[in-house]
Amino acid sequence: MARKFRSFLRSCGAAELVSIGILVLAFGIPFLSSSPFIGSLVTQILIAIPAAFSVYVMLRMDLMTFAVPAFMAMGAYSAAIAGLRCGITDTILLAALSFAVPALVALPLGAMVLRLRGVYFVLVTFLLAQITQLVLFETPQFTGGSNGLAGMPATTLFGLALEDNRSVLLLAVGLALVAAIITTALTRHYRQHFAAIKENQVLAESLGLVVWHYKMLGFTIAAGLAGIAGFSLLNMLLTAHPSSFDAMSSVNYIAYAIVGGAGSMLGPVVGSVVLVTATNLFSTRGEYSPGFLGVLILIVVLAMKEGIVGTALRLIRNRARRREFPLAPADMPYLPVAKSTAAAERKAEN
Amino acid sequence: MEGFVSTGLIGVSLGVQYALLALGFTLIFGILGVVNFAHGGFYVFGGYVAYATVHYLRAPYPLAVVVAVLASGALGYVFELFLLERVIEDDLSTLMLTLGLYLVIVTGVLVTFGPESPEFAFPIRGSWRSGGFYFPKENVIMLSVCAATIAAVYLLMYKTDFGRALRAMADDRQVARAQGLRPRLLFPLAFGLATALAGLTGALVTPILCLAPHLADPVLATSFLIVILGGLGSIGGATLAAFIVGIVEAYSSVYLGGSKGALTLFIFVLIMLVIRPSGLFGREVHGA
Amino acid sequence: MATGMTTVTAAKALQGAELHVEGVAKQFGGLKVFEQISFRLQPGDILGVVGPNGAGKTTLINVISGLLLPTHGRVTLGGHDITRAPFHGRSRLGVIRSFQQTSTFRPATVRENIARAMRFSHGSDAPPLGTDALMMRFDLAGRLDEQSDKLPYGLQKMLGLVLAYVTKPKVLLLDEPAAGLEVRERVQVDDFVHHVREELGCSILIVEHDMDLIRRICPQIMVLDSGRVIAEGPPAEVLSRPEVITAYMGAADEEEAKLC
Repeated sequence: MARKFRSFLRSCGAAELVSIGILVLAFGIPFLSSSPFIGSLVTQILIAIPAAFSVYVMLRMDLMTFAVPAFMAMGAYSAAIAGLRCGITDTILLAALSFAVPALVALPLGAMVLRLRGVYFVLVTFLLAQITQLVLFETPQFTGGSNGLAGMPATTLFGLALEDNRSVLLLAVGLALVAAIITTALTRHYRQHFAAIKENQVLAESLGLVVWHYKMLGFTIAAGLAGIAGFSLLNMLLTAHPSSFDAMSSVNYIAYAIVGGAGSMLGPVVGSVVLVTATNLFSTRGEYSPGFLGVLILIVVLAMKEGIVGTALRLIRNRARRREFPLAPADMPYLPVAKSTAAAERKAEN
Repeated sequence: MEGFVSTGLIGVSLGVQYALLALGFTLIFGILGVVNFAHGGFYVFGGYVAYATVHYLRAPYPLAVVVAVLASGALGYVFELFLLERVIEDDLSTLMLTLGLYLVIVTGVLVTFGPESPEFAFPIRGSWRSGGFYFPKENVIMLSVCAATIAAVYLLMYKTDFGRALRAMADDRQVARAQGLRPRLLFPLAFGLATALAGLTGALVTPILCLAPHLADPVLATSFLIVILGGLGSIGGATLAAFIVGIVEAYSSVYLGGSKGALTLFIFVLIMLVIRPSGLFGREVHGA
Repeated sequence: MATGMTTVTAAKALQGAELHVEGVAKQFGGLKVFEQISFRLQPGDILGVVGPNGAGKTTLINVISGLLLPTHGRVTLGGHDITRAPFHGRSRLGVIRSFQQTSTFRPATVRENIARAMRFSHGSDAPPLGTDALMMRFDLAGRLDEQSDKLPYGLQKMLGLVLAYVTKPKVLLLDEPAAGLEVRERVQVDDFVHHVREELGCSILIVEHDMDLIRRICPQIMVLDSGRVIAEGPPAEVLSRPEVITAYMGAADEEEAKLC
């Protein structure tokens, strides 16, 4: 067990470790501050993070998804229905359900839509989000229609009811952490595959990569991650309502990932922190916040394509480039024999 | 029977409005390869500019419409020229930029005019009677203007050099460029034309139906629906699809109630996008 | 096939497989790209496919490699029918193609490119014999940690060929490997082809416009014009046939210059 943990750590990149570290530290927040504003803000950030991860995972395959609200709704509503109608309140069970249901739905959906790329994929996922919201409104006997499902009982962890704000916050931290671990495992283990698909899909396929397998995997896990975000949201509101899963809200999650920087896992985390905080700071003039988001998107796309984290990393790397080349990453064991002789030759020349 | 026919008329009327709206959207996609997420925003923008011109400048309504068209066109032109052109080669970046613009427009309108619907009404009231049917004058006038504009756009696209140049750009940007057509000149014009059409629709329809900032979303969704159904980039397809959507929406809202009609349409279009991304009449566009 | 070829040792020959293309045709709607193309490729064979632009050469490679499905005809590899096999499936079976453009994973390093090529195809980390020599010949051996899109264009193209090489192909389809290369760089393509035959023993099909290159390395060529095979045989003999020259005269001046 310890060996597997160590090899997992070794395969993590710096960004992943920092992200997970931040989330682990977040467990301490409720003990540091009892301000309800901070509590609510942090909870909102922690709900946003798995959703931003969902976008991030898809972006690693060069696919921009607008379907995050749809899968969030699936996660939230499955948990709500399980809680209200079947009396299931165990947190771990509900969390697993909120991951599994969207992931399973994503299987046939993915088989249909993953053959599309670029703009077409965007449109199709946007349609999915619209359709899901309409379905929520039009099936009241199942989803409560425009009233939603209210009065969700508090979830329980090992028998303890998680009722107060602090517990909700801690649960949100836990869910975000789980999402981070899943995202790390997926994106590190399949880093080369996703990168190949993103950089040159035709070439990857011509070399023998079964591209649609990996797209399905990414799409399904991304759906599950969004589902976890939905469950987290449900916990905070104790109500599942269609208005929380509006199709255009997908823009928010995409913004969190892109403004933060879609190049590393730290990006969605930073993006969520910065943007959710900013939106909350505008709370007195809440109507300004979409405009603010819009301006940020314009700035980032035009001037800071790699987002906050990416740009910062690039600046750091430019400084560090005076020193030696980075080492070959751990997942690249291939070392042609020629390399040592060529390197030796070069050294002899200098 | 009367209900059936009058619902059909409503459907056709919706179709004309949607056609004008969808035309702009499909033009942008066909010629520039851009999905304009701000399309609904320009609709709302046009409506509010017309309202402000009437309300604050005390101008007559027809003048207000013209101002709205020019303002929407200018905004689109400038946006394309200074912002979109810089990332036009990257589809997802252009998409994100239009998203940003959408957010800015909607917030701007919201902040300037508030979230409530202002009093904005068509200046001509009353209706004409014919054969037992009532035709509200405002609808008739609005429809005539829309239909005339659609016809004008067709003329522009198919009978003028400008239109031919635009269609050549849509077919193959590289070849068109090699033949001397200048995208840098034509793209902003095309974009401005499309946004002007959206603004026109807004200025015409909002006094009849409703004017509010949140309308941008459903307008966008409907535009998507129509343009995907008709085929991204196909002008004729968008027009036909607009009528299909308008009629389906009219009948389903009268006879089915709720948004079941919209739901069926969405699902139908989703399936179509998967099976035949080029829609009913569209061409194979890159990225599918 | 023709004599005058260096013989391939029996052991190496076993690494290839026979590619049999029978009566293959492709049309898009009403547009007939090519029809009734048949040939057999034994391990060690090198077949050049030439013809004026628009003759259907790249489409032929697309059909054999699986990017497109033929309208008629069959493609078999080592006796198995692969006519409808999916693109990635065919690569796994050993039918590997190169691309005219963007043939590498651009932001990735040379090392990553090669590692991916091996992992996606046969999944092992061991490069086939002769890889190191190839890397040294192409001056890539010392550039393993450079990003491939920072390499000069010629090296990028060579890397693309190396990627095809390390997948241990049974049939190699090269789509204009010399396109965009300077004249003095084109010799590297010769070396590549010979190296492939020596070390991998597979068969090679080359689509090319550079007639000198074709004459140097292909013992056998096939001339395509407007979708039909108008001549087959050794290059020196085929290229002086009147109908071949006429076909090229109808095309751009650049072809004339290349024939001289």
